[in-house]
Amino acid sequence: MARKAKAAAAAAVEAPVYVPVDSDFVLKDNADSIAIDENFASQSFWKDALIRFFHKTSAVVGLVLIVLITIFAIVGPGMNKYSYSDQNLTQKNLAPRVAAFENSGILDGSETIHTSSGDKKINYYKEYKLDDVYYWFGSDNFGRDIWTRTWQGARVSLIIAVAAAIIDMVIGMSYGLISGYFGGRVDMVMQRILEVCNGIPRLVIVTLLLLILKPGMGTIIFALMLTEWVSMSRIARAEMLKLKEMEFVLASRTLGAGSFFIIFKEILPNIIGPIITQVMFSIPTAIFTEAFLSFVGLGIPVPQCSLGSLISLGFNALTTHSYQIVPPLIVMALLMLSFNLVGDGLREALDPKMKEM
Amino acid sequence: MKKTKAIAAAVLAAVMAVGIAGCGGGGSTASTSAESAAAGESGAAAVEASAEDLNVMIETPVQSLDPQQATDGTSFEVIADYTDGLMQMDETGKPVPAIAESYEVSDDGTVYTFKLRQDAKWSNGTPVTAKDFVFGWQRAVDPKVASEYKTMLIDIGQVKNAGDCADGKKELSELGVEAVDDYTLKVTLNVPVSYFPALMYFPTFYPVNEEFYNSVGDTFATSPDTTLSNGAFILDDYQPAATAFHLTKNADYYDADKVQLAGLNYQVIQDSQQALMSYQSGDLDITLVNGEQVDQVKDDPAFKTIGAGYLWYVSPNISKVPELANKNIRLAMTMAVDRNAITETVLKDGSIPTFTAVPPQFATGPDGSDFSADQEKFSDVCKTDTAKAAELWQQGLKEIGKDSLELTMIVDADDAPQKVAQVLQEQWQTNLPGLTINISPEPKKQRVQDMQDGNFQLGLTRWGPDYADPMTYLGMWKTGNDNNYGEWSNADYDAIIDEVTTGATAQDPEKRWTTMYDAEKIVMDEAVIFPLYSQSNAEMISPSVTGIEFHPVALNRVYKNTVKAAK
Amino acid sequence: MKKYTIKRIVTAIFTLLVIVLILFILMKLMPGSPFNDEKLSADQRVQLYAKYGLDQPVVVQFFHYVINLLHGDMGVSYNISKNTPISALVATRLPVSIGIGFAAVMIGAIIGLILGLLAALKHDTIVDTICTIISVIGVSVPSYVFALLLSYSFGFRLGMFPMLYSQAKAFQSSVLPSISLSMFTMASIARFTRSEMLEVMGSEYMLLAESKGLSGRALIFRHALRNALIPIITVLAPLIVDLMTGSLVVEKIFAIPGVGSLLVNAIQSNDYNVVIALSFIYSAMYIIIMLIVDILYGIIDPRIRLAKKGD
Repeated sequence: MARKAKAAAAAAVEAPVYVPVDSDFVLKDNADSIAIDENFASQSFWKDALIRFFHKTSAVVGLVLIVLITIFAIVGPGMNKYSYSDQNLTQKNLAPRVAAFENSGILDGSETIHTSSGDKKINYYKEYKLDDVYYWFGSDNFGRDIWTRTWQGARVSLIIAVAAAIIDMVIGMSYGLISGYFGGRVDMVMQRILEVCNGIPRLVIVTLLLLILKPGMGTIIFALMLTEWVSMSRIARAEMLKLKEMEFVLASRTLGAGSFFIIFKEILPNIIGPIITQVMFSIPTAIFTEAFLSFVGLGIPVPQCSLGSLISLGFNALTTHSYQIVPPLIVMALLMLSFNLVGDGLREALDPKMKEM
Repeated sequence: MKKTKAIAAAVLAAVMAVGIAGCGGGGSTASTSAESAAAGESGAAAVEASAEDLNVMIETPVQSLDPQQATDGTSFEVIADYTDGLMQMDETGKPVPAIAESYEVSDDGTVYTFKLRQDAKWSNGTPVTAKDFVFGWQRAVDPKVASEYKTMLIDIGQVKNAGDCADGKKELSELGVEAVDDYTLKVTLNVPVSYFPALMYFPTFYPVNEEFYNSVGDTFATSPDTTLSNGAFILDDYQPAATAFHLTKNADYYDADKVQLAGLNYQVIQDSQQALMSYQSGDLDITLVNGEQVDQVKDDPAFKTIGAGYLWYVSPNISKVPELANKNIRLAMTMAVDRNAITETVLKDGSIPTFTAVPPQFATGPDGSDFSADQEKFSDVCKTDTAKAAELWQQGLKEIGKDSLELTMIVDADDAPQKVAQVLQEQWQTNLPGLTINISPEPKKQRVQDMQDGNFQLGLTRWGPDYADPMTYLGMWKTGNDNNYGEWSNADYDAIIDEVTTGATAQDPEKRWTTMYDAEKIVMDEAVIFPLYSQSNAEMISPSVTGIEFHPVALNRVYKNTVKAAK
Repeated sequence: MKKYTIKRIVTAIFTLLVIVLILFILMKLMPGSPFNDEKLSADQRVQLYAKYGLDQPVVVQFFHYVINLLHGDMGVSYNISKNTPISALVATRLPVSIGIGFAAVMIGAIIGLILGLLAALKHDTIVDTICTIISVIGVSVPSYVFALLLSYSFGFRLGMFPMLYSQAKAFQSSVLPSISLSMFTMASIARFTRSEMLEVMGSEYMLLAESKGLSGRALIFRHALRNALIPIITVLAPLIVDLMTGSLVVEKIFAIPGVGSLLVNAIQSNDYNVVIALSFIYSAMYIIIMLIVDILYGIIDPRIRLAKKGD
């Protein structure tokens, strides 16, 4: 705002008749109130929210990252001649090598091996005489291209995580809201059911499910869904307990609104912030649980891969070929970061109370 | 209301206090658990390795220290550290006297009389007598104990009445083992068993002192206080399923002069990278390394590969999958596998590509030669030959009237089996056009059940020898054997197996040996299994340590003659 | 309040019984049995089933189990540690897991709260961004990667802490595992504190408190933080149970004799009694902690207390 005022002031300088000084146009100490004057009154709530969202740089950065990673997850695996499952045992454990950087000393395919007789730098490409071979992110212990596998893994992880998070949200939110709103006996019964569900260690349920059903993406989503909705419902219930005694609920009820109208139309928009934050957290939780399942050997079946299973694989080579864990780890971290940033942006944009901030 | 608040504050304070205690940690926790350990302070102190303790890494905790209940290699190794049987293994795996000074065999080969040494004592001072062996053996077949290795006495050892005792049809006192006097043990067998003395170092045959056993009851062999030693070491710090435990040298051991180590310090480490780092920082003297780490250490003089005895193989379900009942399909599959690629590029732990049904390096014949030294003896039906494999494959497909085939292979959901399975999948799909392989990883118990129930198409499995004789493998493919997963059945084969176990050939070692070759040839010609490799373990052994004896059978590592040079 | 508490305890016991029953049924659905081993014949399996009473109907087994449980007997392990009473197995392992877990929760919660508060108070500044990045790293790097990196750098390279857990040096050897376990808690708490604080600080009553002249510390701690704590406790409670009942991966990497690795081994080897006993302990701890949380709710937020009084 202050900048706008200055620009206006600068334009005014050129007028010949009266030469006003800067201070004429400096507003009193009420720049914030003027911001409110940027009027959205005629716009719908969602359009309003959208504009606020795009005003937040970090949220936009997050969104761009998600879009980029999604695009790579779609086209990345097809960008070179390798497929995610093709093995080439004569070209295994090769360090990253990219043609463009090759001569600058980085990503030239050499790696340092910590042997028991000291560190040594080896370039296996030269040793095996692989002049025209380029693995951009390196190759794994079966000679599979890590670039292709990373994006293939990102694709699988995104599908699993987003599907699981959305299903959690719907189930957990409804459950928590209903339980919290009605309270009393309904709450008691619903909370006991929830306690039973949650009282059984997640690992036991998920493992058993995966043992009984055929391993695969669908089963993993189902298993995650069965266990993850609980935390969502707890948040929704806690929020509901906070809000249900508030005046606007009372007002709505006096006006004759039904319970479900109040729950989903009156209270839901008010708690969308914490819910979205929770969704942003259930995505990493979903990816993690999947990674954990990979770790105990029950994740996505080989040779398919997910970011989690790639990290577990890279973990096994962390002290030997440390470059193998880096790409999936970075993609996963970026994905988490961007989901968080977008979540924050959305939360602030959707929460009417945040306007004053 | 004030009151409620005060209570709440108290609760909060209590939670915080516990938290702080928790932070302070481990200290208080460990002292309580150390006290609860029977060893008490001495046990806790013993964890600090003295200079001459040998620090040994193991992958899994001990499952049982009860010699008649134990079933896994780690448990056997530890039990043998502190218990001696009638016989023990020398460096080459041959049986040599331990508690038994000598033994005699009757002319018909069915009665063994062991003379026991008189200077062997249990660690509570009572002498080791023939009665202890009788009690131990009776426990092994006692239906109440339900020993998982009772078959060592029944089918393998052929001890008289063992089977009936185990089924409860006969009293335990009728078992064919008898204490003639305190130092004479007489064993009666159903049929002559040529390798019987070699079974005596197997822990199932170890002695248990009845009086001591009755005094500790159900807690037998669960702590140092409930364990008796008559061997080179004494267990002095141990909890069930412990991740670290300790044995100390037994000063009263009859052969104590020869034992050089002050003790053994076992550490369970499941993560191979941590294990190697611990070795490199000097906390371990011997550790396993996995295939990924071999590049780092292969030039190190401490790096060794040691045969582990296990044969890994694929079992096709011959009876339930019609396509796999076709011999050419099976032969094509076994010939399409490049076993060298598996061992050299994926496992890298020194495992040996195997082309025989009985793996090399564990069974030595009457002439002293390795049963499976010649890996090319079945090269017409089992070698890497992709061209011939493709040819057989096309022929097989024609015979079953199909042009493509999709098979699912079940594998253990562990690291190495899954790696091997992925290579097999790739090789089969590349070399045999029209074949699609799906890999289904399952937890081991489930995988074994599926195979035992015949609920599989292809199964990647392994078998470790129980005794140093080819029969430990060849017995598996007899009709009706529980480990004949593919339910292959061949009357000629069954006849040969009967002949060499209970028939006339059983008493003629040379003839028995050549007859077993005939049996193996049938298995290979029919491609009943696709042998892959004999497992080796890649290990780092500190150069200051010498004299650890490794065996593929029964006791994997023996430390009686181990010397650790002072640093 | 007292009546409410008693009612909660009674239902908690009932819930536990239901959980044991469900676990029993789940165990029956589990493919494989404790005695599926290459070396065991069909006859031997039958004999072992009979020995442990596994040949009886589930209902009979269930009642036997509950009756034994009331006597404090949780049965014996079938194959992880053969014939060892599970109470003995757990007695030595649970304290280790609880110790490390609690240390991790404390480290994580305290650092998380500080980070979250900082981020909320310095909203939309570089401090906020840094706190966000730290907490995002916390949730996006699996604890086993942290564990190995910590072990490699502080254990192997620098030699500051032991790489493996040992009872003789329990405190030093708990440091690295606790830190690697605390990362996820720290990140979750930081994120949640930030979001809750922002929400609370934007509310009308804060505006009121502010305009009444309250400022600085009193405003943040007495009003804002107190209200933000409710949902934070909700998030923290299950994390506490998860951490105190042991983490598979961290226990595996540091060779910690805790219950987390025991549970995984038990599931993989179908050691029914161990799975049920450990799940039961987990459930009991979970229910107790949720009970405490519920009671704490009432104290922190008078509105809930009043609502409950009305019941």
